[in-house]
Amino acid sequence: MSLRRIFAIFRKEVIQISRDVRSLLIIFAIPLILLFIYGYGVNLDVKHVPLCVYDRDGSQQSQDLLKGFQSTEYFNIVHLARDYPDVVRHIDSGSCSVAVVIPPRFAEDLRNAGSTTVQAILDASDSNSASIGLGYAQSIVAAYSSRVQVDWAAAHGAQPPALPLDVRARTWFNEDLESMANIVPGVVALVMAVVGAFLTSLTIAREWERGTMEQLISTPVGALEIQIGKLIPYFVIGMADTALCAGASVGWFQVPFRGSWLVMFGSSALFLTVVLSLGYFISVVTKSQLAASQMALLATFLPTFLLSGFIFPIDQMPVVVQVITRVLPARYFVEILRSVFLKGTPVAMIASQLTALGIIAFVLVALATRAFHKRLE
Amino acid sequence: MNGNQNGFSVSVEQLTKRFGDFTAVDAITFSARRGEIFGFLGPNGAGKSTTIRILCGLLAPTSGRASVAGLDVATQPEEIRQRIGYMSQKFSLYNDLRVKENLEFFGGLYSVPPSEMPGRMAWAVRMAGLEGRERSLTGSLPVGWKQRLALGCAVLHRPPIVFLDEPTSGVDPVSRRQFWELIQEMAREGITVFVTTHYMDEAEYCNRLVLIDRGRIVAMGTPTELKSRSMKGELLLVECEPLGPALAALRALPGVAEAGIFGRAMHALVADSRAAAVPVRNALLAKGLDVRRVEPIRPSLEDVFVALTVARRPEGPALPQVRA
Amino acid sequence: MKFLQALRRIHRLLVKEFIQTLRDPHTRFTLFGPPIIQMLVFGYAATLEVNHVHFALLDHDNTQESREYIARLTGSPYFTLDKVAQRPAELRAGIDRGTTLLAVQIDSGFSQDLRGGKGAKVQVIVDSANSNTALVGLGYVNQISAKYAQDYQRDHMLRANPQMAAMLPQVNLADRPWFNENFTSRWYFVPGVIGNLMLVMVMILTAFAVVREREIGTLEQVMVTPIRRWEFILGKTLPFFLIGMFDAALISLVGTFWFGVPFRGSVAVLAVGTMIFLLSSLGVGLFISTISATQQQAMVSAFFFIMPATTLSGFGTPISSMPPFFQKLTYLDPLRYYMIILRSVYLKGVGFRVLWPELVSMAVFSVTLLSVSILRFHKSID
Repeated sequence: MSLRRIFAIFRKEVIQISRDVRSLLIIFAIPLILLFIYGYGVNLDVKHVPLCVYDRDGSQQSQDLLKGFQSTEYFNIVHLARDYPDVVRHIDSGSCSVAVVIPPRFAEDLRNAGSTTVQAILDASDSNSASIGLGYAQSIVAAYSSRVQVDWAAAHGAQPPALPLDVRARTWFNEDLESMANIVPGVVALVMAVVGAFLTSLTIAREWERGTMEQLISTPVGALEIQIGKLIPYFVIGMADTALCAGASVGWFQVPFRGSWLVMFGSSALFLTVVLSLGYFISVVTKSQLAASQMALLATFLPTFLLSGFIFPIDQMPVVVQVITRVLPARYFVEILRSVFLKGTPVAMIASQLTALGIIAFVLVALATRAFHKRLE
Repeated sequence: MNGNQNGFSVSVEQLTKRFGDFTAVDAITFSARRGEIFGFLGPNGAGKSTTIRILCGLLAPTSGRASVAGLDVATQPEEIRQRIGYMSQKFSLYNDLRVKENLEFFGGLYSVPPSEMPGRMAWAVRMAGLEGRERSLTGSLPVGWKQRLALGCAVLHRPPIVFLDEPTSGVDPVSRRQFWELIQEMAREGITVFVTTHYMDEAEYCNRLVLIDRGRIVAMGTPTELKSRSMKGELLLVECEPLGPALAALRALPGVAEAGIFGRAMHALVADSRAAAVPVRNALLAKGLDVRRVEPIRPSLEDVFVALTVARRPEGPALPQVRA
Repeated sequence: MKFLQALRRIHRLLVKEFIQTLRDPHTRFTLFGPPIIQMLVFGYAATLEVNHVHFALLDHDNTQESREYIARLTGSPYFTLDKVAQRPAELRAGIDRGTTLLAVQIDSGFSQDLRGGKGAKVQVIVDSANSNTALVGLGYVNQISAKYAQDYQRDHMLRANPQMAAMLPQVNLADRPWFNENFTSRWYFVPGVIGNLMLVMVMILTAFAVVREREIGTLEQVMVTPIRRWEFILGKTLPFFLIGMFDAALISLVGTFWFGVPFRGSVAVLAVGTMIFLLSSLGVGLFISTISATQQQAMVSAFFFIMPATTLSGFGTPISSMPPFFQKLTYLDPLRYYMIILRSVYLKGVGFRVLWPELVSMAVFSVTLLSVSILRFHKSID
């Protein structure tokens, strides 16, 4: 192993990267652009749900109930319906996602019969938002119901039934339940995976296509020397990108950072090693830039986006799929990032994820080294 | 197979390379001495590049043996790489690197001692005629300069043996000649130069030649030896119009063993060229053809090659050759 | 006569294009890979439903009432009791490690407070690192708790004061989920997959088809023949339009007959919407081909267009959740309109009368994009 040779390869790679405008763009602009688009675009917060109100009673009491819907940021009253077909039109066209229908003798029924039912029509084509919206509606109605009961009891001189249960919920790590806090760390993983693998996937294949590889392997430089020399620049770039994205997450997106920066960068270094080696391996094996980049993008983007747990929770997936996610480095990295950003838990808690990442990194580096032959066939 | 083989730099014995069903190199045997300009001549697809790649350790032989600088190509390819310089067919320099950056890169790969680097780089720049252009991007250089730069990069570490694979393809004639002067200078310094080419005229520059066709050696020797030994007769140059009927008429003549088109004229193979000149002229005139010239000429390597390969082809004479 | 010749030339082009597309391993992969992958993932793996809430429990009270409450939790199909803790630290550990979503702690005065008419305290700690699951999980706990509270109250009242119990007012909420009664997230994703795939496939295939010729050099060759510009463009785009329609139909069938997503609308509306959308996909593909010299570049451009286009389309996450700036941005994304059309046709069963704004917007977008791309393409052939 000659440091001189590694340095020669390293320097050449750096010169080439710095002269390739398109690569530079990908390195700096794309991560940030992706971070922004995914950070803002992928948002599971259900707020400002467009609400249509059909008040068939129009009494003081129905107004009171509706105030509950008005005063919350979870709903946004966009339409007061005149009749039932009006409601249907608004739900059908999608301009309203929920419609609250108050029956015609609402106040009267409350006074006399004691109970009445309000309807919530939900556009469940977006099933997730609908079920969460339903939850909000239920708590608003339940709160109103309690108030009615207390008033009634007071009016009849009875002791108002106290709330039997007082459920105090403490949300840990993400107090505002902002989906951004949980998604942005995942986006950092996604961006690193995609950009990292993509960049290295071109490096070997490009030399084959241009013919310079043949010249290169006729010299004394060894396969491992080439690998190290070529990957170091991308490693440095990758760490810089990670720092950039992490900084943007905290500085712009206001995602809390409760863990240790050391753990953050250590695990990023591990993850980068994984994705860079993956891209390198693909490049060695396919020898064609087009195929290599396609494979790299496919192998990183889809699994990271869909199966790493960054949006779709892994523990809700079918068991078979959960097992598959065990070989995905992104899954472990997302867990580590969430721990570092949101949980601030001690390193011991993420020891298993770090180990898993370490094993995968080792396997990929070894694969990439063994796959490269200094031969033409 | 360690140790120098009787002063031979390159030694090849029954070397064979097969790619699936296709035999690219078929049991060839030859050796090159130190300080020789050894040429490997043949048409495209003959097996020249394959052979040179095996010698550089880039391909593994299917069977047979080869040694370079006393080292076995099959078992010691890495050691060989330390001792040779190689210029690949596409003289692959990095187009997005500057001239001096390319030199620095290859200097680093060959571990040229840092104290020697400035001297070697200056030499390479001078040799390539690139003084003042060290900071130019390699991609912007004309082909002739790139070619010399590639040669410079290949010999920065002063290897005793240099392998050049079609180093002059796509280069203008003036640059080609200059390049061969460089090679001759290197040979004078004791460097063994192993060259492949399909330009027959360049073969004259070589000390010794191997003619290869379809993976087999067709002839081996110095250019003079080849020209005098290989022809089974002597050559007549015939300039006659129209070419088509003239060729047919020429071939039909008794005493003409073979005839082919060379440029705008034809070469005819006869037993005694001086004796045959006048009868051939008369025969052609008698057919009503417009005869401009009929005179004996000395065979060129191209003639040698055509004669040797045509004779071997089962399908008969190849289509008329046009000289490069 | 001239037209017939033109038709024949176009036919030749179509055949060549189909052969090349099927022979080239990259495009062959694009034809089959993404559809299969996406159907598998969105049909089976990706889900926002929370069906398994793992929770840990610490009961300091240990009375009949507390056990009754716990029984409500464990009896729910959504909840899985992972651990009965002895100490608060154990509860925390599970959440820190990420193995449990919720930890429920019942304080020691629980039944006393209940009987005494004071609010009995239950503490719930939620791991909201994944805010969506946290929200849903918390919602379940609240629902179960509210039901328990209501039942307890009624029993209490019935025993204490039967008449009053009968007359105590109460407002209930009846939920009427339309279009997707069981809140199945697969019904949300699978129609969207059609849109995704249409965009990805048609765009990439078209871009590749053109750039491949440019890269190899046959583009020049073809332009020297008597072929007209418009014939060439048609020959390049028509095959992928057809492939797109075919694939849309295929995926629809798989979605309905294999995954059981209901199809309540009219095929005509879906067909028209798909055709208009395909035009814009073709337009984008052509545009990319004019800015790419190599297939490599085309692929990168395509990829970096697809990512925002699918994110902002409302495919995975609703547009209404995005910040206002981004919501406005989505109007520039043809996929946004197509998503609405897809989900409306499949699940809502509505037709032209409701969807005409989306159809028209998409049509305007398609025509503009296609025209710009064709003009650029025209020039690039010179």
